[in-house]
Amino acid sequence: MDLALKDLGEYITGHIPEDVTGYDLQLGELSITVRPESIVRVLTFLRDDVNCRFKQLMDVCGVDYPERELRFDVVYNLLSLTNNSRIRVKLETDEDTPVPTVTEVFSCANWWEREAWDLYGIYFSSHPDLRRILTDYGFEGHPLRKDFPLSGFKEIRYDDELKRVVYEPVKLTQEFRSFDFLSPWEGVQPVLPGDEKAGDPEDNAAETEGDG
Amino acid sequence: MGVIPPGEGAPLPPGAAQDALLQQVTGELQDKGFVVANVDKLVNWARAGSLWPMTFGLACCAVEMIHAYMSRYDLDRFGVVPRPSPRQSDVIIVAGTLTNKMAPAFRKVYDQMAEPRYVISMGSCANGGGYYHYSYSVVRGCDRVVPVDIYIPGCPPTAEALVYGILQLKKKINRTGTLWR
Amino acid sequence: MGETRIQNYNLNFGPQHPSAHGVLRLVLEMDGEIIDRADPHIGLLHRGTEKLIEHKNYVQAVPYFDRLDYVSPQNQEHAFALAVEKLLGLEVPPRGQYIRVLYAEIGRLLNHIFTVCAYAMDTGAMTPMLWMFEEREKLMEFCERASGARMHMNYFRPGGVSFDTPPDLLDDIAAWTETFPAMIDDLETLLTENRIFKQRTVDIGVITAEQCFDWGFSGPNLRAAGVAWDLRKAQPYDAYAKMDFDVPIGKHGDCYDRYLVRVYEMRQCLRIIKQCLEEMPGGRCKTNDRKIAPPSRADMKHSMEALIHHFKLYTEGYHVPAGETYTAVEAPKGEFGVFLVSDGTNKPYRCKIRAPGFAHLQAMDLLSKGHMLADVVANIGSLDVVFGEVDR
Repeated sequence: MDLALKDLGEYITGHIPEDVTGYDLQLGELSITVRPESIVRVLTFLRDDVNCRFKQLMDVCGVDYPERELRFDVVYNLLSLTNNSRIRVKLETDEDTPVPTVTEVFSCANWWEREAWDLYGIYFSSHPDLRRILTDYGFEGHPLRKDFPLSGFKEIRYDDELKRVVYEPVKLTQEFRSFDFLSPWEGVQPVLPGDEKAGDPEDNAAETEGDG
Repeated sequence: MGVIPPGEGAPLPPGAAQDALLQQVTGELQDKGFVVANVDKLVNWARAGSLWPMTFGLACCAVEMIHAYMSRYDLDRFGVVPRPSPRQSDVIIVAGTLTNKMAPAFRKVYDQMAEPRYVISMGSCANGGGYYHYSYSVVRGCDRVVPVDIYIPGCPPTAEALVYGILQLKKKINRTGTLWR
Repeated sequence: MGETRIQNYNLNFGPQHPSAHGVLRLVLEMDGEIIDRADPHIGLLHRGTEKLIEHKNYVQAVPYFDRLDYVSPQNQEHAFALAVEKLLGLEVPPRGQYIRVLYAEIGRLLNHIFTVCAYAMDTGAMTPMLWMFEEREKLMEFCERASGARMHMNYFRPGGVSFDTPPDLLDDIAAWTETFPAMIDDLETLLTENRIFKQRTVDIGVITAEQCFDWGFSGPNLRAAGVAWDLRKAQPYDAYAKMDFDVPIGKHGDCYDRYLVRVYEMRQCLRIIKQCLEEMPGGRCKTNDRKIAPPSRADMKHSMEALIHHFKLYTEGYHVPAGETYTAVEAPKGEFGVFLVSDGTNKPYRCKIRAPGFAHLQAMDLLSKGHMLADVVANIGSLDVVFGEVDR
């Protein structure tokens, strides 16, 4: 299975080298990274190529990495019924750079992209109908960004005098309690401070990939 | 509900004594064309006897609510028949998470109901946000939007709990003084 | 008579409508009683699940999956448990796998009973619901006996299932599987050849296989269009590889076929449940790794180490190695996927939930165009959408 996926990765990077920047095989799942401007070409290739036939787009979603310069990942999960395999296509973007919409290639991308716009503020250019989808009418901000507070900014109450539902700033009687379990001795860093060079080179490689 | 003879507190159990009393009342009604009763008790009896709830299923609790209406728990036997229209219903069961986007619509439905109207808040989400309390899009308790009569705890409350809650509401209505409000 | 231009009008359907299966708001553009355009407004049950999961550890995140598709909670948990296990590189003992498959199929039955009956109710048949909900109660009793909760079981945890089954439960499920086929037969006598039901469903909301691919359909809705695709067969997880069952497919891709596929799937569920019960292996039902699964109560009474493990697990949870995975299961409604990104801490960095209903509801416009207003209800019912998972 892994070998076949590796071959597929080689095949895809070999055929559209100017669009694909690399591929990666992790936990038996193939993911390729592409340039944002060529996403339509890549997905069309993946859909129509005889050896790929990824005819179903299962999911489009954003991931936010605020510490990066291009803070958002847009992730497309595709499924091929013919080959019984999946592929993940990733690209990087930020708040201002639009990503071309893929609604022309897969109709179902319409709502997934609206969702990514709603929750992350990733702009999809030439999308037919880029409205908010999940959050409240008139919602401000993009809630799934890491810098958006969990409880948001507005809360709702019925006002007896105004006879309507009003929005007010959030007031919590008890704050959300979050405990930090990451002592310097365990957690994120498998390598102890000062011990970097002793670590397994493969481990380090995996770590950087996880970050990127 | 048993028949309560005038001047006594305890209801008569079904049997010969109850039949005699009922016959007396029916005879009086046929003879004179009217009966004398306590208006507030009569009103309360009428209100509590057929509580028609509005089916306001929002989330998970709606499934338990449907179970309470269906064959095993059969709320019909208490005169509780689900109505799809707020104009015809007496009580609204808020079954599930109330979100910010839904709240105005919910209040509108509540406003359309005729007085007297009652609200049952079902499940921890409706009671106070529950598992979703800290979310940016959830109303932290439906009592921020409408006045609530009965809170049913649980996530979700079982169908039995809902039946119990409805019986509690009946009790509450029966205790209410209708005339001197 | 000269041509006159007729003004279309908009109709607002929901968000409070008994046949909307929850809180769907549809803005319909009507030409007389014919639908020109259907614009579903969703998000009326958007609870911010994904954001909340990012703020809770892996142990606390499991119950959110119950509450997504609350008609079949077990299958959602299954997807999350599999995704976390994949990142942890964990193997579930055989008994745990079999119990999971057993309860996943019970979840499928819960879902299909609900869907078919609610669908029948939407199209005007009251009796199926009254009959079949008694069976649903029995299934919920089985859930309650295994986990303590009727609906939201929180039973499939990463590493196995939370408790082993109590004595007699498996025998009682086996006894129940003997009685249930007669109920399906009764259901079919009410609906399958029912003239009114067929008039409401046959050739309504037709979708072809190619359109299904384009719109990201999966599960029974895809199979009703004639595509034999089932993740339990194609990419088997847990003990599904050892199960012998058929995948029913439809021919026309209309509402009636979607109903038939679900009814046949109920019978296949029973087959899988029977096989699980017959082949149920002994041994542990959850992994032996004390960092992932809690120790038994008895151990905690006299072992300090077990007590520490228990305390650490329920305060800190466990740390999941950095990585990302897209893991999908065949939920009753279709492909339910979890895209999980871990950064090595005890909280998921990103947990995207791929709900089948989201993709299905998107095709409402395609399915409803040119149909009458009453068929919208038939379409919603046959697509089997539940807003907990669509809105998340």
